[in-house]
Amino acid sequence: MAAQDSRNLRLGIFVIVGTTLLITALYIIGSKQNLFGSTFKISAQFNDVNGLMKGNNVRFAGINVGTVESVNIITDTSVNVIMIIENNAQQYIKKNALASVGTDGLMGNKLVNINSVNAESPIIEENDVLQSLKPIEMDQMVRTLDVTNENIKVISTNLRNITDKINSKNSLWNLLMDTIVAENIKTAVVNIKLMSNQGLYITGDLKGITDGIKKGKGTIGALVTDTIISSSIKQTVVKLQRISDSAAIITGDISHIVRKLNQGKGSAGILLNDTNLIYNLNKGVKSIDKGAITLNEDLEALKHTWPLKKYFKKQSKKKK
Amino acid sequence: MKSTVLQKFLTETGDIARFSGRFFVEAFKPRYEFAELLRQCFFIGYKSLPLVAITAFIMGLVITIQSRPTLVEFGAEAWLPKMVSVSLVREIAPVITALICAGKIGSGIGAELGSMKVTEQIDAMDVSGTNPYKFLVVTRVMATTFMIPILAVLADAISLYGGYLGTNIRGVCSWDLYWNQVFDTLTYGDIIPSIAKTFLFGFAIGIIGCYKGFYSNKGTEGVGQSANSAVVISSLLVFILDLLAVQITDLLNLT
Repeated sequence: MAAQDSRNLRLGIFVIVGTTLLITALYIIGSKQNLFGSTFKISAQFNDVNGLMKGNNVRFAGINVGTVESVNIITDTSVNVIMIIENNAQQYIKKNALASVGTDGLMGNKLVNINSVNAESPIIEENDVLQSLKPIEMDQMVRTLDVTNENIKVISTNLRNITDKINSKNSLWNLLMDTIVAENIKTAVVNIKLMSNQGLYITGDLKGITDGIKKGKGTIGALVTDTIISSSIKQTVVKLQRISDSAAIITGDISHIVRKLNQGKGSAGILLNDTNLIYNLNKGVKSIDKGAITLNEDLEALKHTWPLKKYFKKQSKKKK
Repeated sequence: MKSTVLQKFLTETGDIARFSGRFFVEAFKPRYEFAELLRQCFFIGYKSLPLVAITAFIMGLVITIQSRPTLVEFGAEAWLPKMVSVSLVREIAPVITALICAGKIGSGIGAELGSMKVTEQIDAMDVSGTNPYKFLVVTRVMATTFMIPILAVLADAISLYGGYLGTNIRGVCSWDLYWNQVFDTLTYGDIIPSIAKTFLFGFAIGIIGCYKGFYSNKGTEGVGQSANSAVVISSLLVFILDLLAVQITDLLNLT
């Protein structure tokens, strides 16, 4: 009888362990699908759910907060998705949250992502309808990627050209890398520093000079400070002004005369302006010229005449 | 000759069907043999546990190690717990448990009842007023029907533990992550049909073992024959029932 009791005990343990395991497993699976615990329902409408099914996960901020209860077609362009959400996630989901259909990884199960929007809004309630985002379509994405790739290709080619240019001789880079230039710049900087130091001395001296001038030291100082000289200078300036005034009058007269001359008034004007006179004068000069030539010949003939011949011989002998 | 083979087969099928029908009649009639039922449950369930546990553990480990290279090829190593848990829970653990039990329990029942038949103990029971069917068959079939599902549940757990160790041989997957992934993947559609079919397996193993023993041929040779055919037919039936169960769950969309 004792043996049978022990057997029954072991059998009991065996059966209890087995059934407990089964019930635990069923409970864990049930709780994963939100069959137990308090939940609430919300829905969202999509154009396209990309194969979303009953039982798929609903994520809020990347955390599983519920499951899809049903997916129904409403019209030819909208699909209603009813979701069961855990009550303890309710306080975080706002009414303006956006629902979108996504994928768990690249090839994983479909799921609904609920994303919060950065704006004030009351907390979500039972049977609310969320706004939906258009799901990312793989096809669309690949097409965009294709364009992006093309662009990157062009950009990288350009970049290569630029870097080639930078690396080549006579470039900015070379200039930057040239040590001689750097040395020169360095010495230039040193010189500038020296210069500025000297400038400092000069300004110091200048300051001394100006101070001296202020105090009336030196010629300039005397000039600046001596009131007698300044008054005589003033007088000179006044006289100079008078002279320049009379000069102005004289120049006015001169210009009047010149104007008259131009108009041919007065004897000088006539002289200057009469073309006929000029012609006659010309003629006169020419005949004088002729007369002079004939005179010259006559004089030459005189040289060779008797009384004068002797004199000219003497003259030429003297020269020798 | 051909007609006699077919005739034999059909006759035997009919006999097994009648034998099974008699079980349902006798099982619900009063005067229940509880003490004998518990004794049989102990021998059939508890005593089979070590064998089933070792087999299940090794199957879990081996399936995991074998699945890894294929998944690595896809870069889906992280899916190892999911894949292994589905294949173990849905198919491997229940069927392995049923086959092990068909070998151990089916042959045991066949040989035990066969030798009782040969030594005319069954006839003696009949004469002494005890219903041999009720005392021998009903208790054993009830025991197998209820113990094999429990063994299958334990086999599920142990094989998943084996899978956990297998995952960690080459990869790294923490205890919590492993069980999280396993229960994320499993649904009622995986567990309930797989446990439900083990009741059928258990019933088939019990009823075939009892039938073969109950109608054993005279002589020592007959005992061996009935033990042997009990194992063969119950193993075959396990697979046939498995096929039927999968078809039905598929048709009912329980997956």
